[in-house]
Amino acid sequence: MRKRLVDARLLDPTQGAAEKLGDLWIEDGRIVDPPADGKPADEELDLSGHLVMAGAIDIHSHIAGGKVNLGRLLAATDHRDHPAFAGDGLRGGSGLATPSTFTTGYRYAAMGYTAAFEPAMVAANARAAHLEMVDVPILDKGAYVMLGNDEFLLRRLAAGAGQSEINDYVAWLVQATAAHAVKVVNAGGISAFKFNKRGLEIDEPGPHHGVTPRTILRSLARAVHELGIPHPLHVHCNNLGIPGNVATTLATIDAAEGLPIHLTHVQFHSYGTEGKRGFSSAAAQIAEAVNRNGNVSVDVGQVVFGPTMTESGDTQAQFRNRGHADPDKWISMDIECDAGCGLVPFRYRDKNFVNALQWAIGLELFLLVEDPWRIFLTTDHPNGGPFASYPQLVRLLMDRSFREECLSRLHPAARKASLLSGLPREYTMEEIAILTRAGPARTLGLADRGRLTAGALADLAVYRPQSDLEAMFRTPVRVFKSGIEVAREGRVTAVSQGATQRVRPGYDRQIESGVRRFFDDHMSVGFSHFALADAELLDAGGRLEEHACRTGATP
Amino acid sequence: VTDRRVACPFCGLVCDDLVASGNGVVDSRGCALGAAGFRRGAVPRRSHAVAGTAVDFATATTAAAVLLKAATAPVFHGLAVDLAGIRALFALAERVGGAVDHLASSALLANAAVARASGWVVATFAEIANRADFILIIGNDPARAFPRFHERLVDNANPLYRAGPPRIAYLGPAEEAPPRVAPSLQADVTRTELLPALAQLGALLHGRRPQSSTEPLRTIASSLAEARYGAIVWTPASFAANEAELAVEQIAAMLRHLNATTRCVGLPLGGSGNGLGAMQASLWQTGWPLRLGFGEGTPRHDPWRFAGDRMLSSDEADALVWATTLVAEAPPATSRPVIALIPDDLVLPSPAAIEIRVGMPGIDHDGEIFRSDTVIALPLQATRPSDRPSVAAAASAILAKLQALP
Repeated sequence: MRKRLVDARLLDPTQGAAEKLGDLWIEDGRIVDPPADGKPADEELDLSGHLVMAGAIDIHSHIAGGKVNLGRLLAATDHRDHPAFAGDGLRGGSGLATPSTFTTGYRYAAMGYTAAFEPAMVAANARAAHLEMVDVPILDKGAYVMLGNDEFLLRRLAAGAGQSEINDYVAWLVQATAAHAVKVVNAGGISAFKFNKRGLEIDEPGPHHGVTPRTILRSLARAVHELGIPHPLHVHCNNLGIPGNVATTLATIDAAEGLPIHLTHVQFHSYGTEGKRGFSSAAAQIAEAVNRNGNVSVDVGQVVFGPTMTESGDTQAQFRNRGHADPDKWISMDIECDAGCGLVPFRYRDKNFVNALQWAIGLELFLLVEDPWRIFLTTDHPNGGPFASYPQLVRLLMDRSFREECLSRLHPAARKASLLSGLPREYTMEEIAILTRAGPARTLGLADRGRLTAGALADLAVYRPQSDLEAMFRTPVRVFKSGIEVAREGRVTAVSQGATQRVRPGYDRQIESGVRRFFDDHMSVGFSHFALADAELLDAGGRLEEHACRTGATP
Repeated sequence: VTDRRVACPFCGLVCDDLVASGNGVVDSRGCALGAAGFRRGAVPRRSHAVAGTAVDFATATTAAAVLLKAATAPVFHGLAVDLAGIRALFALAERVGGAVDHLASSALLANAAVARASGWVVATFAEIANRADFILIIGNDPARAFPRFHERLVDNANPLYRAGPPRIAYLGPAEEAPPRVAPSLQADVTRTELLPALAQLGALLHGRRPQSSTEPLRTIASSLAEARYGAIVWTPASFAANEAELAVEQIAAMLRHLNATTRCVGLPLGGSGNGLGAMQASLWQTGWPLRLGFGEGTPRHDPWRFAGDRMLSSDEADALVWATTLVAEAPPATSRPVIALIPDDLVLPSPAAIEIRVGMPGIDHDGEIFRSDTVIALPLQATRPSDRPSVAAAASAILAKLQALP
């Protein structure tokens, strides 16, 4: 089956900034060169006037796992207000902030997304999270395993373990949990909370082990780099949400010592203490640091006004924020001497000074960070808002007058405290394509995605250019996953099974004896049952796809 | 064939240090419940049957599809099956617009209702086994339903963080008390006095001194406040049915209060028969906890309306799919036709309209099961592999046939 998309406006930032008018040939799920044999296509689709980009990729979206399920449990109103009906081959579901799995896959696909990554998988929850993600249809997916509060790492760092041992342990864990990348959440802070410590500064020795967050960050950033894992250490900084945490965020960049590091939902970590309310934007400082340090990338975690659910591994921060719960209920969970999770329902209000400034800080970051390859479009779904609000966010970036109009509705003091009205930048279509597909594919090491070149997967979104950019991005005309049309005009037309993306860094098997002893002596699951077997995912109907680690990294 | 370490699916602890030898014998580490469970695999095979007549798998699944196609309000109940079975049953139930319940959902729903309405602070097994220096058990000795509770969660010989064994306190009926509770920490109350005692404990934690409070209750309150990492353990099934939710709500309030100054976590036990697996899959696939109804085209949740037992006793349901492997339990009495997906060792008091004999996860085939602490799913390995179809295979076959019916 050979398909030809005819006369499209092709936008692929990996091939230069300009749109190219041309045809796209698809065979066996991939983009191919125009056939040399001159044979016609089996199927032709006239796309004249339409813009074609690679399928979008969300690098940070809480779509599955134990904490997401707890979020669904807490969010009864979200599910009652957003029912999804079964029929036409689709399964039913519900939810906007915490959508059920089938609904998640369909909604993303209808919006032109073909992959999404769960960024906070608890190692002990890996089997459950991956089996849950098998029920996220259409999308390719993957998970970042959380490290940095786990007993084994902390005790080995406390004992002065060498970097090679840390590397072996990280690689073993990534393989055992079928992860695609490594995340650290509030380094040492989640563990500290279990010892009743309510905060942890970056150079403060944590309780029991006496290991500082800086040490944890440095050794993990180095491990990820030396193992050649494509995506840099994905860092949720300490002190999330606290006024003045810009200092912690800058110190985190410093802790990386020039190694690649990705700061996630950096909006929540760009706060100063100025002004009579003691809360101010430090977006300019953070953006300046990102612009200066080529080893740093960020995703924003943009706030969207309205109700949502905050779901995080950061029990310390979530517990601290429980007073903001709206409605007033919250869950905190300590998990397996390894991690934790905290759930706090939240409502961002444009007439609330702090929320309004959070909204502005996110946009300031987008507009002040210069290199679109090192910033990614996220709302930290659902923590800043549901992923369904991405089209509006794209419009905010591309359309200054729309931004000004939204800004004018904000709490007046927040409006005044923000730089936003003085920032004329409007994102170009090419920059949006970098932010939402080419950039994510590059940072995640997905070599055959995020581009329109021969050999790439035919994951495509076809847009109808129009003045209403939000409408354009909300409802692609067609979406293809691996060459199959999966959505048309906002409706899912075919359901496929995406693949779980993962990397398999190499390690010295000797590490397993120490880990085995630790699990068998102290943990509630034996070593032999901890690792997820490929067969479990395959038997459940899943698919697996492995991506290469970089070679030649210097240990 | 060498010995293998395997997990046990017969209670919510899902201990995974059992040893299976090549001949299908499993050393259950002294647990009678586990031993009895694994012995269930060593029974003669029974036939699939339609109306009491032996038939092959294809005939039985076709008959089930025909029956379900004609039903207008089928109930899917039991559900004490592995995760794959649950996922396949949900797909089938959605297709025919059925209601879905689990045989142990009452206890789970008491917990879920409180978590949903007000939230709480909880922890998983390894945190409690390694960290808890004070454990308050409420309602009864958890070992009655979870035989290795003390061995696994209390008597940890190698705790990572605490020195010495935890102090154990108890609030509940004296005759159901756990072992080794110091008299000063044992607050004996009858089942009917439990709610008022919880209210008194809550008041004591807030610094008030209810006159009716007993000395042990006051000691428990001060111990909870002084503990570095306290734990409160309860089994909702140990509470009077109409009081379980109220009791759990009071415990959750105490947990929220205590964590303002110290650490204290809850451990709600329950979920035998993979009830947590059913709850988790329900949440991720539909956005709702059990009990579910698919009859309106979008999944609905209503703990009363979609209670399987109620729908059957009121004759509201017109067919029952009874699927259980992990718990050997017969379906509730009903005049409606029953499609039973059950293992060979379960003989029903009155034969079901359609009986499909399925394998057991952890005996006949591999599978996955969730533990009581909700986060962790464990793999089950076939210890006596057979060609018995799994519940997932049976449910999927019925769905495929149903879709092929004219």
